[in-house]
Amino acid sequence: MSKLPRIAVANLNKEFRIYKRPQDRLVELISRKPKHTLFKVLTDISFAVAEGKSFGIIGNNGAGKSTLLKLLVGTLQPTSGTIATHGQVAALLELGAGFHPDFTGRRNIFLNAALLGVSDENIVEMENSIIEFSGLGDFIDRPVKTYSSGMYVRLAFSIATMVQPDILVIDEALSVGDMAFQKKCVQRMNQFRADEKTMVFCSHSMFHIQELCDTAIWIHEGYIREIGDSDRVVADYEDFCNSSKSYNNIREDLPGEVESREQSDREAEVQDCRINSVSVQTLDGQDVTEVIPLSTLVLKMEVEVLVNNMEGHFGFAFMRSAEEPIASFLTTNFEGINHGPFQKGEILSITLEVEKFAMRIGEFYVLGGMADKSGLLWYESKFSKLLSIATNKGVGAIVMKSAWTVEQN
Amino acid sequence: MFFNLIREWLRAPFVNYRLFHNFTRQDFFSQFTTSMGGVLWLFLTPVVLLVIYSFVFSYIFRMRAPAEFGEINFVIFLMIGYLPWFAFADAFGRAPNLVIEKAPLITKVMFPVQIIPITGTVIPYLTHVIGFTLFLIYLAFRGYLSVSWVMLPFIFGLQFLFTLGLVAVISALCVFLRDLQQIIALLLTVWFFLTPIIYPISLIQSETVQRLFLLNPMHSFISAYREIVLLGTVSPVHLMIIVPVSIISYVLGGWLFMRIKHAFGDVL
Repeated sequence: MSKLPRIAVANLNKEFRIYKRPQDRLVELISRKPKHTLFKVLTDISFAVAEGKSFGIIGNNGAGKSTLLKLLVGTLQPTSGTIATHGQVAALLELGAGFHPDFTGRRNIFLNAALLGVSDENIVEMENSIIEFSGLGDFIDRPVKTYSSGMYVRLAFSIATMVQPDILVIDEALSVGDMAFQKKCVQRMNQFRADEKTMVFCSHSMFHIQELCDTAIWIHEGYIREIGDSDRVVADYEDFCNSSKSYNNIREDLPGEVESREQSDREAEVQDCRINSVSVQTLDGQDVTEVIPLSTLVLKMEVEVLVNNMEGHFGFAFMRSAEEPIASFLTTNFEGINHGPFQKGEILSITLEVEKFAMRIGEFYVLGGMADKSGLLWYESKFSKLLSIATNKGVGAIVMKSAWTVEQN
Repeated sequence: MFFNLIREWLRAPFVNYRLFHNFTRQDFFSQFTTSMGGVLWLFLTPVVLLVIYSFVFSYIFRMRAPAEFGEINFVIFLMIGYLPWFAFADAFGRAPNLVIEKAPLITKVMFPVQIIPITGTVIPYLTHVIGFTLFLIYLAFRGYLSVSWVMLPFIFGLQFLFTLGLVAVISALCVFLRDLQQIIALLLTVWFFLTPIIYPISLIQSETVQRLFLLNPMHSFISAYREIVLLGTVSPVHLMIIVPVSIISYVLGGWLFMRIKHAFGDVL
């Protein structure tokens, strides 16, 4: 077996020429005067996939994922850059692309496999296992046009994977079909990995990307935003998706920037304390930069009192950015906590223990804040360093402490 | 580069035999699977044409076959030219849609696209060779059979290559210039009437105009069929035209197709 990467992509660029009218294409050919506008789909994409590895592609709609897959498969030509693939490539860019609606499923197995470059003799051997895997039963001898879309997909997937290519390229294949079939697909793809085959996989299902891919690439507006370990890339992508949502409704009760900015004019006269530091530590006092989900965090803030008889509340918030809170419920605005009065020159240490930290992905700041006696006016605040959450398995924004029981009766 | 492309083009149906075979079978039979008559239409069409042409040309127009072909029914004279033309016209007329029709496949699956024009030409020829053969069998029973008939498959093969070259060019260009579809339909009608099929070339008085018709390779093909079938000989002038023209069309057409097939994905 060669040690060459199965797929090597270097400095790949893809532009589409957009013509206003179809005849402009001809006019340009003849007059040599450019009549098109360039639409850049992919810019400077480079990566390699080693034998036996699987590779995920994620990104928003229109980021260029499908174009990249088409380039890999070879149905599109790159504008510049190179793509080298070693071995037979089978693609499921559109399930059942080669099916002829008037022919039976059985007939289409032969057609489709011929498209994928398999000889008829080999298909005869595979025929039964394809039919069995697809679970179509008697439908296999009916015209494909009578199939439901799920049956269509099942047949296509069965053929493409049964062919045992060296490289399998799949675009969103698993999002169709019922749960039972999806499960079979995942098993088949895992088998594929076990057989040291190479797989390129594009999906909006972060779970599948994490489960099935070793490395992943995140394409954002045609550029590589991130490439690396699939858990990490998926986590960052999810974080990105969440943060692009609007937080307008929550902003009113946010103890951060808005209020403190409104207060900034008055701040000079009102200033009666200063937050010297905000830090995040573990229980044994270590500074934290990478947070392990479900661990216990100790938030600390040091406040210097600048006037006599100061009274007020303290609070912490987890912030995605200066303006976007993730959670801001932690204030000392309740009985039984020392609200002062404090005297000038005193240094206050405020500590808050957060148990079972529930965020699963992303990066955040801790904001320490100081409010007046009413608890409504937040006039002093300070951000901690940027903290990130350690890579972990799973999908979604939060985790929670849990315990399993499986009982066999 | 040039020779590589041509080599790839020439080898296409052999290297990708499985695909070629499956494609051809698929498209050939899909003509019939949805129709009730099925394969019956293959035989019915030439028979109906024979009847209607007999009625129009022999009965209404009272056309006579030119004297040099002997005392024969005009309809026989006509059909010898018309049946091969039918194969050509069918392939030529379908050419604009060949690649466009397969757009979903071309953009989603990587396969040797050059199979498409080949299949697209093989199918009409396969379809019409049936009618042509039936007609020849009929003529053989009428006593026209001669040794020179062995040349017929050869000429028919050359006509196939000539057509294939044109089909490759048209099917590829139509991806970029959809207007070609209309132009081709019109061109086909013009070409039909400029080829001496429903009239003998001898009907044209001027020698010069007659010679101009030699620029039309289809005229040479059809004259060759008529001379071989009815007279048992063939004029060298027709052979001298169709052999080089067919080969040039086949090679250059294929080369052009291979040159621009990579851009299909961007446009389709």
